[in-house]
Amino acid sequence: MATMKFLCDTKRCIECNGCVTACKNENDSALEWGIQRRRVVTLKDGEPGEASISVACMHCTDAPCMAVCPTDCFYRTEDGIVLHNKDTCIGCGYCFYACPFGAPQFPQKSTFGGRGKMDKCTFCAGGPEEDHSEAERLKYGSNRIAEGKLPMCAELCATKSLLAGDAGVVSNIYRERVASRGSNKAIWG
Amino acid sequence: MKNILIALSVALNLLFCGFAMANTAEEPSSANELMWTQVKDGAQGVTTSKGQAHNQLINTYDMRVFQLRSDLLAPAIMAALFGMIIVFVLFIKVNGISKLHGGFSGKMVHRWSKFDVSIHWLGAIPCLLLILTGLTLLAGRFFFHPYLSEGLWAGLINAAKLVHDYMAIPFMFGWLLMTVLWAKNQMPKMYDIKWMLYVGGYINFGPFKGKHPDAGFANAGEKLWFWTFALFGLVICASGMLLLFPNVFEPSRTLSLIALVLHSVSAIIITAFSIVHIFMATVMSEGGMECMVSGYCDENWATQHHNLWFDEIKQNGTLTYKK
Ligand code: HEM
Ligand code: SF4
Ligand code: SF4
Repeated sequence: MATMKFLCDTKRCIECNGCVTACKNENDSALEWGIQRRRVVTLKDGEPGEASISVACMHCTDAPCMAVCPTDCFYRTEDGIVLHNKDTCIGCGYCFYACPFGAPQFPQKSTFGGRGKMDKCTFCAGGPEEDHSEAERLKYGSNRIAEGKLPMCAELCATKSLLAGDAGVVSNIYRERVASRGSNKAIWG
Repeated sequence: MKNILIALSVALNLLFCGFAMANTAEEPSSANELMWTQVKDGAQGVTTSKGQAHNQLINTYDMRVFQLRSDLLAPAIMAALFGMIIVFVLFIKVNGISKLHGGFSGKMVHRWSKFDVSIHWLGAIPCLLLILTGLTLLAGRFFFHPYLSEGLWAGLINAAKLVHDYMAIPFMFGWLLMTVLWAKNQMPKMYDIKWMLYVGGYINFGPFKGKHPDAGFANAGEKLWFWTFALFGLVICASGMLLLFPNVFEPSRTLSLIALVLHSVSAIIITAFSIVHIFMATVMSEGGMECMVSGYCDENWATQHHNLWFDEIKQNGTLTYKK
Protein backbone atom coordinates (compact mmCIF):
# COMPACT_ATOMS: atom_id res chain seq x y z
CA MET A 1 0.00 0.00 0.00
CA ALA A 2 1.06 3.54 -0.65
CA THR A 3 1.98 5.99 2.08
CA MET A 4 0.60 9.33 0.98
CA LYS A 5 2.61 12.50 1.57
CA PHE A 6 2.78 16.11 0.47
CA LEU A 7 6.07 17.69 -0.50
CA CYS A 8 6.60 21.37 -1.26
CA ASP A 9 9.65 22.34 -3.27
CA THR A 10 10.52 25.78 -1.89
CA LYS A 11 12.73 26.50 -4.88
CA ARG A 12 9.67 26.38 -7.09
CA CYS A 13 6.89 27.86 -4.94
CA ILE A 14 6.01 31.34 -6.20
CA GLU A 15 3.43 32.17 -3.51
CA CYS A 16 0.60 32.30 -6.03
CA ASN A 17 -1.84 30.71 -3.55
CA GLY A 18 -3.25 28.57 -6.34
CA CYS A 19 -3.21 25.53 -4.05
CA VAL A 20 -5.15 27.47 -1.40
CA THR A 21 -7.80 28.45 -3.91
CA ALA A 22 -7.95 24.96 -5.40
CA CYS A 23 -8.52 23.49 -1.94
CA LYS A 24 -11.13 26.07 -1.01
CA ASN A 25 -13.02 25.45 -4.21
CA GLU A 26 -12.77 21.67 -4.10
CA ASN A 27 -13.85 21.33 -0.45
CA ASP A 28 -16.17 24.33 -0.30
CA SER A 29 -19.18 22.29 0.84
CA ALA A 30 -17.42 21.39 4.13
CA LEU A 31 -15.60 24.63 4.92
CA GLU A 32 -17.23 26.96 7.42
CA TRP A 33 -16.65 30.65 6.91
CA GLY A 34 -13.06 31.65 7.63
CA ILE A 35 -11.58 28.17 7.61
CA GLN A 36 -8.69 27.50 5.31
CA ARG A 37 -7.08 24.06 5.17
CA ARG A 38 -3.98 25.01 3.21
CA ARG A 39 -1.89 28.16 3.42
CA VAL A 40 1.30 29.50 1.88
CA VAL A 41 3.86 30.93 4.30
CA THR A 42 6.61 33.20 3.02
CA LEU A 43 9.77 33.49 5.06
CA LYS A 44 12.05 36.55 4.74
CA ASP A 45 9.37 38.25 2.68
CA GLY A 46 10.98 40.87 0.46
CA GLU A 47 14.49 40.09 1.68
CA PRO A 48 17.30 38.15 0.02
CA GLY A 49 16.73 34.44 0.50
CA GLU A 50 12.94 34.74 0.46
CA ALA A 51 11.25 31.36 0.36
CA SER A 52 7.61 30.31 0.20
CA ILE A 53 6.14 27.03 1.26
CA SER A 54 2.65 25.62 1.04
CA VAL A 55 1.49 23.81 4.19
CA ALA A 56 -1.54 21.81 5.25
CA CYS A 57 -1.88 18.62 7.29
CA MET A 58 1.24 16.51 6.66
CA HIS A 59 -0.51 13.21 7.42
CA CYS A 60 2.14 12.29 9.97
CA THR A 61 3.19 8.68 10.31
CA ASP A 62 2.84 8.75 14.10
CA ALA A 63 0.41 11.61 14.28
CA PRO A 64 0.48 13.80 17.42
CA CYS A 65 -3.16 14.83 16.86
CA MET A 66 -4.16 11.16 16.96
CA ALA A 67 -2.17 10.58 20.15
CA VAL A 68 -3.68 13.53 22.04
CA CYS A 69 -7.37 13.48 21.03
CA PRO A 70 -9.53 12.68 24.10
CA THR A 71 -12.28 11.28 21.89
CA ASP A 72 -9.99 9.02 19.86
CA CYS A 73 -11.76 10.19 16.69
CA PHE A 74 -8.76 10.04 14.33
CA TYR A 75 -7.99 7.12 12.12
CA ARG A 76 -5.46 6.29 9.44
CA THR A 77 -6.54 4.97 6.05
CA GLU A 78 -4.63 2.16 4.41
CA ASP A 79 -2.93 4.84 2.30
CA GLY A 80 -1.50 6.44 5.44
CA ILE A 81 -3.91 9.39 5.30
CA VAL A 82 -4.92 10.80 8.72
CA LEU A 83 -8.68 11.48 8.88
CA HIS A 84 -11.09 12.21 11.72
CA ASN A 85 -14.74 11.73 12.62
CA LYS A 86 -16.51 15.06 13.08
CA ASP A 87 -19.50 13.42 14.79
CA THR A 88 -17.28 12.32 17.67
CA CYS A 89 -15.07 15.45 17.82
CA ILE A 90 -15.91 17.73 20.78
CA GLY A 91 -13.93 20.76 19.66
CA CYS A 92 -11.59 20.72 22.65
CA GLY A 93 -8.62 22.02 20.66
CA TYR A 94 -6.09 19.46 21.96
CA CYS A 95 -5.12 18.50 18.37
CA PHE A 96 -4.46 22.15 17.55
CA TYR A 97 -2.06 22.34 20.52
CA ALA A 98 -0.34 19.11 19.50
CA CYS A 99 -0.05 19.49 15.72
CA PRO A 100 3.43 20.78 14.79
CA PHE A 101 2.04 22.31 11.57
CA GLY A 102 -1.00 24.23 12.82
CA ALA A 103 -3.25 22.13 10.58
CA PRO A 104 -6.37 21.67 12.78
CA GLN A 105 -8.63 24.74 12.60
CA PHE A 106 -11.95 25.63 14.26
CA PRO A 107 -14.97 27.76 13.41
CA GLN A 108 -14.98 29.36 16.90
CA LYS A 109 -12.22 30.79 19.07
CA SER A 110 -13.16 29.89 22.68
CA THR A 111 -13.42 26.31 23.91
CA PHE A 112 -16.25 27.26 26.28
CA GLY A 113 -19.14 25.14 25.10
CA GLY A 114 -16.96 23.95 22.23
CA ARG A 115 -14.99 25.54 19.41
CA GLY A 116 -17.13 23.71 16.90
CA LYS A 117 -15.96 20.68 14.94
CA MET A 118 -12.30 20.59 14.05
CA ASP A 119 -11.51 20.82 10.34
CA LYS A 120 -8.30 19.97 8.55
CA CYS A 121 -6.95 18.77 5.21
CA THR A 122 -8.23 15.32 4.29
CA PHE A 123 -5.80 14.75 1.38
CA CYS A 124 -9.04 15.04 -0.61
CA ALA A 125 -10.01 11.66 0.87
CA GLY A 126 -13.36 12.55 2.52
CA GLY A 127 -14.20 11.05 5.89
CA PRO A 128 -15.74 8.07 7.64
CA GLU A 129 -19.09 8.46 5.86
CA GLU A 130 -19.85 6.41 2.78
CA ASP A 131 -17.72 7.49 -0.22
CA HIS A 132 -19.29 10.36 -2.19
CA SER A 133 -22.36 10.49 0.06
CA GLU A 134 -24.05 13.82 0.78
CA ALA A 135 -23.01 13.53 4.45
CA GLU A 136 -19.38 13.13 3.44
CA ARG A 137 -19.56 16.06 1.06
CA LEU A 138 -21.07 18.36 3.70
CA LYS A 139 -18.73 17.42 6.53
CA TYR A 140 -15.43 16.68 4.82
CA GLY A 141 -15.59 17.93 1.27
CA SER A 142 -14.41 16.05 -1.76
CA ASN A 143 -13.18 12.48 -2.02
CA ARG A 144 -10.81 12.31 -4.98
CA ILE A 145 -8.80 9.43 -3.55
CA ALA A 146 -11.84 7.16 -3.93
CA GLU A 147 -11.85 8.13 -7.61
CA GLY A 148 -8.18 7.26 -7.97
CA LYS A 149 -7.16 10.92 -8.17
CA LEU A 150 -4.67 12.95 -6.13
CA PRO A 151 -5.46 16.07 -4.03
CA MET A 152 -6.65 19.09 -5.99
CA CYS A 153 -4.04 21.50 -4.53
CA ALA A 154 -1.10 19.51 -5.92
CA GLU A 155 -2.86 18.74 -9.19
CA LEU A 156 -3.41 22.45 -9.85
CA CYS A 157 0.02 23.69 -8.71
CA ALA A 158 1.27 25.61 -11.75
CA THR A 159 4.98 25.20 -11.02
CA LYS A 160 4.62 21.62 -9.74
CA SER A 161 6.20 22.80 -6.53
CA LEU A 162 3.56 21.06 -4.43
CA LEU A 163 3.65 17.32 -4.96
CA ALA A 164 1.24 14.78 -3.52
CA GLY A 165 1.37 11.02 -3.71
CA ASP A 166 3.22 7.99 -2.45
CA ALA A 167 6.18 9.04 -0.32
CA GLY A 168 8.66 7.02 -2.36
CA VAL A 169 7.51 8.34 -5.73
CA VAL A 170 7.28 11.94 -4.58
CA SER A 171 10.71 12.00 -2.97
CA ASN A 172 12.28 10.38 -6.04
CA ILE A 173 10.91 13.14 -8.25
CA TYR A 174 12.27 15.66 -5.83
CA ARG A 175 15.69 14.02 -5.62
CA GLU A 176 16.01 13.96 -9.40
CA ARG A 177 15.14 17.64 -9.54
CA VAL A 178 17.75 18.56 -6.98
CA ALA A 179 20.38 16.46 -8.72
CA SER A 180 19.74 18.08 -12.10
CA ARG A 181 19.68 21.62 -10.76
CA GLY A 182 22.81 23.35 -12.04
CA SER A 183 23.68 24.68 -8.64
CA ASN A 184 21.90 24.24 -5.35
CA LYS A 185 21.98 28.00 -5.04
CA ALA A 186 19.97 28.35 -8.21
CA ILE A 187 16.43 29.59 -7.74
CA TRP A 188 14.82 27.83 -10.71
CA GLY A 189 15.13 24.06 -10.51
CA MET B 1 10.39 3.86 22.66
CA LYS B 2 7.06 5.07 21.35
CA ASN B 3 7.94 8.72 21.85
CA ILE B 4 11.18 8.24 19.96
CA LEU B 5 9.14 6.81 17.11
CA ILE B 6 6.79 9.77 17.19
CA ALA B 7 9.71 12.19 17.20
CA LEU B 8 11.31 10.34 14.31
CA SER B 9 8.17 10.30 12.26
CA VAL B 10 7.64 14.01 12.79
CA ALA B 11 11.24 14.62 11.76
CA LEU B 12 10.53 12.59 8.65
CA ASN B 13 7.53 14.74 7.88
CA LEU B 14 9.60 17.85 8.35
CA LEU B 15 12.00 16.52 5.71
CA PHE B 16 9.10 16.49 3.34
CA CYS B 17 8.88 20.22 3.61
CA GLY B 18 11.78 20.20 1.22
CA PHE B 19 14.18 22.43 3.13
CA ALA B 20 16.64 19.92 4.47
CA MET B 21 16.68 17.68 1.45
CA ALA B 22 17.38 20.52 -0.89
CA ASN B 23 21.06 20.22 -0.14
CA THR B 24 21.65 16.54 0.31
CA ALA B 25 22.91 16.05 -3.25
CA GLU B 26 25.63 18.68 -3.14
CA GLU B 27 27.44 20.77 -0.57
CA PRO B 28 25.05 22.52 1.84
CA SER B 29 24.37 26.17 1.33
CA SER B 30 24.57 27.91 4.66
CA ALA B 31 21.65 30.24 3.93
CA ASN B 32 19.31 27.29 3.50
CA GLU B 33 20.64 25.56 6.58
CA LEU B 34 20.11 28.69 8.59
CA MET B 35 16.55 29.06 7.39
CA TRP B 36 15.87 25.42 8.20
CA THR B 37 17.12 25.93 11.76
CA GLN B 38 14.93 28.99 12.13
CA VAL B 39 11.89 27.09 10.90
CA LYS B 40 12.47 24.37 13.46
CA ASP B 41 12.78 27.08 16.11
CA GLY B 42 9.32 28.29 15.20
CA ALA B 43 10.16 31.08 12.73
CA GLN B 44 7.15 33.08 11.59
CA GLY B 45 6.53 34.27 8.09
CA VAL B 46 3.90 36.09 6.11
CA THR B 47 0.67 34.48 4.97
CA THR B 48 -2.65 35.63 3.63
CA SER B 49 -4.41 33.08 5.86
CA LYS B 50 -6.32 34.30 8.91
CA GLY B 51 -6.14 30.82 10.47
CA GLN B 52 -4.85 30.41 14.02
CA ALA B 53 -1.05 30.06 14.17
CA HIS B 54 -0.98 29.93 10.40
CA ASN B 55 1.97 32.29 10.01
CA GLN B 56 4.24 29.87 11.89
CA LEU B 57 5.49 26.86 9.94
CA ILE B 58 6.41 24.46 12.72
CA ASN B 59 5.86 24.34 16.46
CA THR B 60 8.25 21.99 18.27
CA TYR B 61 7.84 20.80 21.85
CA ASP B 62 8.57 17.73 23.94
CA MET B 63 6.61 14.88 22.36
CA ARG B 64 6.86 12.75 25.51
CA VAL B 65 3.71 14.55 26.68
CA PHE B 66 1.56 11.99 24.82
CA GLN B 67 3.19 9.02 26.47
CA LEU B 68 2.89 10.79 29.81
CA ARG B 69 -0.86 11.13 29.35
CA SER B 70 -1.58 7.66 27.99
CA ASP B 71 0.80 5.60 30.13
CA LEU B 72 0.89 7.51 33.39
CA LEU B 73 -1.79 10.17 33.91
CA ALA B 74 -4.74 8.22 32.48
CA PRO B 75 -4.18 5.06 34.59
CA ALA B 76 -3.38 7.29 37.59
CA ILE B 77 -6.72 9.08 37.54
CA MET B 78 -8.51 5.71 37.25
CA ALA B 79 -6.54 4.50 40.28
CA ALA B 80 -7.24 7.74 42.14
CA LEU B 81 -10.98 7.25 41.74
CA PHE B 82 -11.78 3.53 41.48
CA GLY B 83 -8.62 2.28 43.20
CA MET B 84 -9.16 4.53 46.21
CA ILE B 85 -12.79 3.41 46.52
CA ILE B 86 -11.72 -0.24 46.60
CA VAL B 87 -8.97 0.48 49.13
CA PHE B 88 -11.40 2.34 51.38
CA VAL B 89 -14.13 -0.30 51.22
CA LEU B 90 -11.58 -2.96 52.18
CA PHE B 91 -10.21 -0.77 54.96
CA ILE B 92 -13.67 -0.28 56.45
CA LYS B 93 -14.38 -4.03 56.17
CA VAL B 94 -11.22 -4.78 58.19
CA ASN B 95 -11.12 -1.80 60.52
CA GLY B 96 -14.75 -0.81 60.98
CA ILE B 97 -15.93 2.77 61.34
CA SER B 98 -15.43 5.29 64.12
CA LYS B 99 -18.55 5.11 66.27
CA LEU B 100 -19.62 7.73 68.77
CA HIS B 101 -18.72 6.22 72.14
CA GLY B 102 -21.60 7.71 74.02
CA GLY B 103 -24.05 7.37 71.12
CA PHE B 104 -25.91 10.47 69.96
CA SER B 105 -26.63 13.01 72.68
CA GLY B 106 -29.35 14.70 70.66
CA LYS B 107 -27.91 18.10 71.63
CA MET B 108 -26.84 19.84 68.43
CA VAL B 109 -23.93 22.30 68.55
CA HIS B 110 -23.65 25.13 66.03
CA ARG B 111 -20.57 24.51 63.82
CA TRP B 112 -21.10 26.03 60.36
CA SER B 113 -23.21 28.99 59.23
CA LYS B 114 -25.79 28.49 56.48
CA PHE B 115 -23.49 30.47 54.21
CA ASP B 116 -20.57 28.11 54.93
CA VAL B 117 -22.73 25.09 54.14
CA SER B 118 -23.81 26.62 50.84
CA ILE B 119 -20.31 27.50 49.65
CA HIS B 120 -19.24 23.96 50.55
CA TRP B 121 -21.82 22.51 48.18
CA LEU B 122 -21.18 25.23 45.60
CA GLY B 123 -17.68 23.78 45.33
CA ALA B 124 -18.42 20.15 46.12
CA ILE B 125 -21.19 19.25 43.66
CA PRO B 126 -19.36 20.75 40.65
CA CYS B 127 -16.13 19.15 41.93
CA LEU B 128 -17.71 15.68 41.81
CA LEU B 129 -19.02 16.25 38.30
CA LEU B 130 -15.67 17.71 37.22
CA ILE B 131 -13.89 14.62 38.50
CA LEU B 132 -16.20 12.25 36.61
CA THR B 133 -16.17 14.27 33.38
CA GLY B 134 -12.45 15.08 33.63
CA LEU B 135 -11.71 11.40 34.07
CA THR B 136 -13.72 10.67 30.94
CA LEU B 137 -11.72 13.29 29.02
CA LEU B 138 -8.35 12.02 30.20
CA ALA B 139 -8.83 8.26 30.48
CA GLY B 140 -12.10 7.52 28.66
CA ARG B 141 -10.54 6.76 25.30
CA PHE B 142 -8.41 4.04 26.90
CA PHE B 143 -10.83 2.61 29.46
CA PHE B 144 -14.38 3.26 28.16
CA HIS B 145 -14.18 3.68 24.38
CA PRO B 146 -13.17 0.05 23.63
CA TYR B 147 -16.38 -1.20 25.30
CA LEU B 148 -18.84 1.27 23.75
CA SER B 149 -20.35 1.73 20.32
CA GLU B 150 -19.08 4.81 18.46
CA GLY B 151 -22.43 6.59 18.84
CA LEU B 152 -22.65 5.97 22.59
CA TRP B 153 -19.05 7.02 23.09
CA ALA B 154 -19.55 10.20 21.04
CA GLY B 155 -22.58 11.08 23.19
CA LEU B 156 -20.73 10.39 26.42
CA ILE B 157 -17.60 12.38 25.60
CA ASN B 158 -19.64 15.29 24.19
CA ALA B 159 -21.69 15.42 27.37
CA ALA B 160 -18.51 15.15 29.47
CA LYS B 161 -16.99 18.16 27.76
CA LEU B 162 -20.13 20.28 28.07
CA VAL B 163 -20.68 19.44 31.73
CA HIS B 164 -16.99 20.03 32.47
CA ASP B 165 -17.08 23.46 30.83
CA TYR B 166 -20.18 24.64 32.68
CA MET B 167 -19.35 23.14 36.08
CA ALA B 168 -15.94 24.82 36.03
CA ILE B 169 -17.55 28.21 36.70
CA PRO B 170 -19.42 27.48 40.00
CA PHE B 171 -16.47 25.34 41.11
CA MET B 172 -14.11 28.29 40.85
CA PHE B 173 -16.38 30.45 43.01
CA GLY B 174 -16.74 27.67 45.58
CA TRP B 175 -13.00 27.08 45.62
CA LEU B 176 -12.19 30.77 46.03
CA LEU B 177 -14.72 31.40 48.80
CA MET B 178 -13.76 28.30 50.79
CA THR B 179 -10.05 28.93 50.44
CA VAL B 180 -10.25 32.55 51.52
CA LEU B 181 -12.92 32.35 54.21
CA TRP B 182 -11.88 29.12 55.91
CA ALA B 183 -8.09 29.48 55.96
CA LYS B 184 -8.00 31.01 59.46
CA ASN B 185 -9.33 27.79 61.02
CA GLN B 186 -6.86 25.64 59.12
CA MET B 187 -3.52 26.90 60.46
CA PRO B 188 -1.20 24.05 61.53
CA LYS B 189 -0.67 23.62 65.30
CA MET B 190 1.77 21.52 67.35
CA TYR B 191 -0.91 19.02 68.40
CA ASP B 192 -1.51 18.20 64.72
CA ILE B 193 1.71 16.17 64.70
CA LYS B 194 0.40 13.92 67.47
CA TRP B 195 -2.92 13.59 65.61
CA MET B 196 -1.04 12.36 62.58
CA LEU B 197 0.98 9.84 64.64
CA TYR B 198 -2.27 8.33 65.92
CA VAL B 199 -3.93 8.56 62.48
CA GLY B 200 -6.61 10.63 64.17
CA GLY B 201 -7.78 7.73 66.33
CA TYR B 202 -9.58 6.12 63.41
CA ILE B 203 -7.60 2.86 63.58
CA ASN B 204 -9.53 0.33 65.66
CA PHE B 205 -6.76 -2.11 66.54
CA GLY B 206 -3.21 -2.39 67.92
CA PRO B 207 -1.68 0.51 69.84
CA PHE B 208 -4.07 2.95 68.12
CA LYS B 209 -7.27 1.51 69.52
CA GLY B 210 -9.41 3.87 71.53
CA LYS B 211 -6.99 6.81 71.20
CA HIS B 212 -8.43 10.30 70.65
CA PRO B 213 -5.67 12.76 69.83
CA ASP B 214 -6.40 16.46 70.36
CA ALA B 215 -7.99 18.44 67.57
CA GLY B 216 -9.22 22.01 67.27
CA PHE B 217 -11.96 23.21 64.91
CA ALA B 218 -10.25 21.22 62.16
CA ASN B 219 -8.10 18.18 62.76
CA ALA B 220 -4.74 17.60 61.10
CA GLY B 221 -6.27 15.42 58.37
CA GLU B 222 -8.81 18.07 57.46
CA LYS B 223 -6.06 20.69 57.42
CA LEU B 224 -3.99 18.58 55.07
CA TRP B 225 -6.99 18.23 52.74
CA PHE B 226 -7.78 21.95 53.00
CA TRP B 227 -4.30 23.06 51.96
CA THR B 228 -4.03 20.42 49.25
CA PHE B 229 -7.36 21.61 47.88
CA ALA B 230 -6.30 25.25 48.13
CA LEU B 231 -3.01 24.70 46.30
CA PHE B 232 -4.04 22.24 43.61
CA GLY B 233 -7.37 23.99 43.26
CA LEU B 234 -5.40 27.09 42.32
CA VAL B 235 -3.36 25.16 39.75
CA ILE B 236 -6.47 23.52 38.34
CA CYS B 237 -8.38 26.82 38.08
CA ALA B 238 -5.45 28.67 36.50
CA SER B 239 -4.65 25.95 33.96
CA GLY B 240 -8.37 25.37 33.32
CA MET B 241 -8.88 29.07 32.55
CA LEU B 242 -6.13 28.93 29.91
CA LEU B 243 -7.83 25.94 28.29
CA LEU B 244 -11.36 27.30 28.60
CA PHE B 245 -10.77 30.88 27.43
CA PRO B 246 -7.89 30.75 24.93
CA ASN B 247 -9.42 33.75 23.17
CA VAL B 248 -8.89 35.84 26.32
CA PHE B 249 -5.48 34.60 27.49
CA GLU B 250 -4.03 33.57 24.12
CA PRO B 251 -1.69 30.90 25.47
CA SER B 252 0.82 29.44 23.03
CA ARG B 253 0.21 25.87 21.89
CA THR B 254 3.10 24.61 23.98
CA LEU B 255 1.82 26.44 27.06
CA SER B 256 -1.62 24.89 26.48
CA LEU B 257 -0.07 21.42 26.49
CA ILE B 258 1.78 22.24 29.72
CA ALA B 259 -1.49 23.51 31.22
CA LEU B 260 -3.15 20.26 30.21
CA VAL B 261 -0.53 18.22 32.06
CA LEU B 262 -0.62 20.42 35.17
CA HIS B 263 -4.42 20.25 35.08
CA SER B 264 -4.38 16.44 34.97
CA VAL B 265 -1.77 16.07 37.71
CA SER B 266 -3.78 18.35 40.02
CA ALA B 267 -6.95 16.50 39.08
CA ILE B 268 -5.42 13.18 40.09
CA ILE B 269 -4.37 14.54 43.49
CA ILE B 270 -7.73 16.24 44.13
CA THR B 271 -9.59 13.09 43.06
CA ALA B 272 -7.69 10.83 45.46
CA PHE B 273 -8.17 13.28 48.36
CA SER B 274 -11.84 13.78 47.51
CA ILE B 275 -12.52 10.06 47.80
CA VAL B 276 -10.89 9.97 51.24
CA HIS B 277 -12.80 13.10 52.26
CA ILE B 278 -16.15 11.72 51.12
CA PHE B 279 -15.58 8.37 52.85
CA MET B 280 -14.56 10.08 56.08
CA ALA B 281 -17.61 12.32 56.08
CA THR B 282 -20.27 9.85 55.05
CA VAL B 283 -19.20 6.45 56.38
CA MET B 284 -16.13 6.54 58.55
CA SER B 285 -17.04 9.18 61.10
CA GLU B 286 -20.47 8.53 62.56
CA GLY B 287 -22.38 11.81 62.80
CA GLY B 288 -19.94 13.73 60.61
CA MET B 289 -22.20 14.28 57.62
CA GLU B 290 -24.71 16.24 59.71
CA CYS B 291 -22.28 19.21 59.82
CA MET B 292 -22.66 19.92 56.13
CA VAL B 293 -26.39 19.24 56.08
CA SER B 294 -27.70 21.42 58.89
CA GLY B 295 -24.51 23.15 59.99
CA TYR B 296 -24.91 21.59 63.47
CA CYS B 297 -23.04 18.63 64.99
CA ASP B 298 -23.91 16.33 67.87
CA GLU B 299 -22.29 17.38 71.15
CA ASN B 300 -20.76 13.89 71.57
CA TRP B 301 -19.29 14.11 68.08
CA ALA B 302 -17.77 17.49 68.95
CA THR B 303 -16.13 16.26 72.15
CA GLN B 304 -14.86 13.06 70.55
CA HIS B 305 -13.43 14.51 67.34
CA HIS B 306 -12.81 18.20 68.06
CA ASN B 307 -12.27 18.39 71.83
CA LEU B 308 -10.11 21.55 71.85
CA TRP B 309 -12.61 23.45 69.72
CA PHE B 310 -15.51 22.37 71.96
CA ASP B 311 -13.62 23.41 75.13
CA GLU B 312 -12.81 26.74 73.52
CA ILE B 313 -16.34 27.69 72.47
CA LYS B 314 -17.67 26.54 75.84
CA GLN B 315 -15.20 28.80 77.60
CA ASN B 316 -15.60 31.90 75.45
CA GLY B 317 -19.37 31.62 75.37
CA THR B 318 -19.83 31.22 71.63
CA LEU B 319 -21.33 27.76 72.09
CA THR B 320 -24.89 27.75 70.81
CA TYR B 321 -27.29 24.85 70.58
CA LYS B 322 -29.97 24.24 68.00
CA LYS B 323 -33.34 25.26 69.38
C1 HEM C 1 -12.12 19.45 40.73
C2 HEM C 1 -11.87 20.14 39.72
C3 HEM C 1 -11.44 19.64 38.36
C4 HEM C 1 -11.05 18.40 37.96
C5 HEM C 1 -10.95 17.14 38.81
C6 HEM C 1 -10.73 18.48 36.56
C7 HEM C 1 -10.26 17.42 35.80
C8 HEM C 1 -9.94 17.50 34.45
C9 HEM C 1 -9.32 16.47 33.68
C10 HEM C 1 -8.84 15.13 34.24
C11 HEM C 1 -9.23 16.90 32.40
C12 HEM C 1 -8.64 16.14 31.22
C13 HEM C 1 -7.19 16.54 31.07
C14 HEM C 1 -6.51 15.81 29.94
O1 HEM C 1 -7.22 15.38 29.02
O2 HEM C 1 -5.28 15.71 29.99
C15 HEM C 1 -9.79 18.21 32.33
C16 HEM C 1 -9.92 18.98 31.18
C17 HEM C 1 -10.32 20.31 31.17
N1 HEM C 1 -10.65 21.07 32.28
FE1 HEM C 1 -10.80 20.40 34.17
N2 HEM C 1 -10.94 19.76 36.12
C18 HEM C 1 -11.37 20.50 37.20
C19 HEM C 1 -11.66 21.84 37.22
C20 HEM C 1 -11.62 22.66 36.09
C21 HEM C 1 -11.82 24.08 36.11
C22 HEM C 1 -12.06 24.89 37.36
C23 HEM C 1 -11.74 24.51 34.81
C24 HEM C 1 -11.88 25.90 34.21
C25 HEM C 1 -11.56 26.98 34.73
C26 HEM C 1 -11.50 23.36 33.98
C27 HEM C 1 -11.36 23.39 32.62
C28 HEM C 1 -10.99 22.33 31.83
C29 HEM C 1 -10.88 22.38 30.39
C30 HEM C 1 -11.19 23.59 29.51
C31 HEM C 1 -10.47 21.11 29.98
C32 HEM C 1 -10.22 20.68 28.52
C33 HEM C 1 -11.39 19.90 28.00
C34 HEM C 1 -12.54 20.79 27.65
O3 HEM C 1 -12.40 21.68 26.81
O4 HEM C 1 -13.61 20.56 28.22
N3 HEM C 1 -11.42 22.26 34.79
N4 HEM C 1 -10.21 18.57 33.60
S1 SF4 D 1 -3.18 17.31 11.88
FE1 SF4 D 1 -1.07 17.83 12.32
S2 SF4 D 1 -0.39 16.22 13.71
FE2 SF4 D 1 -2.24 15.46 12.71
S3 SF4 D 1 -1.49 14.30 10.94
FE3 SF4 D 1 -1.93 16.40 10.23
S4 SF4 D 1 0.04 17.46 10.40
FE4 SF4 D 1 0.21 15.58 11.63
S1 SF4 E 1 -10.82 19.11 18.69
FE1 SF4 E 1 -11.85 17.23 18.04
S2 SF4 E 1 -10.34 16.16 16.81
FE2 SF4 E 1 -9.23 17.71 17.94
S3 SF4 E 1 -8.50 16.66 19.79
FE3 SF4 E 1 -10.47 17.61 20.34
S4 SF4 E 1 -11.99 16.04 19.93
FE4 SF4 E 1 -10.11 15.37 18.89
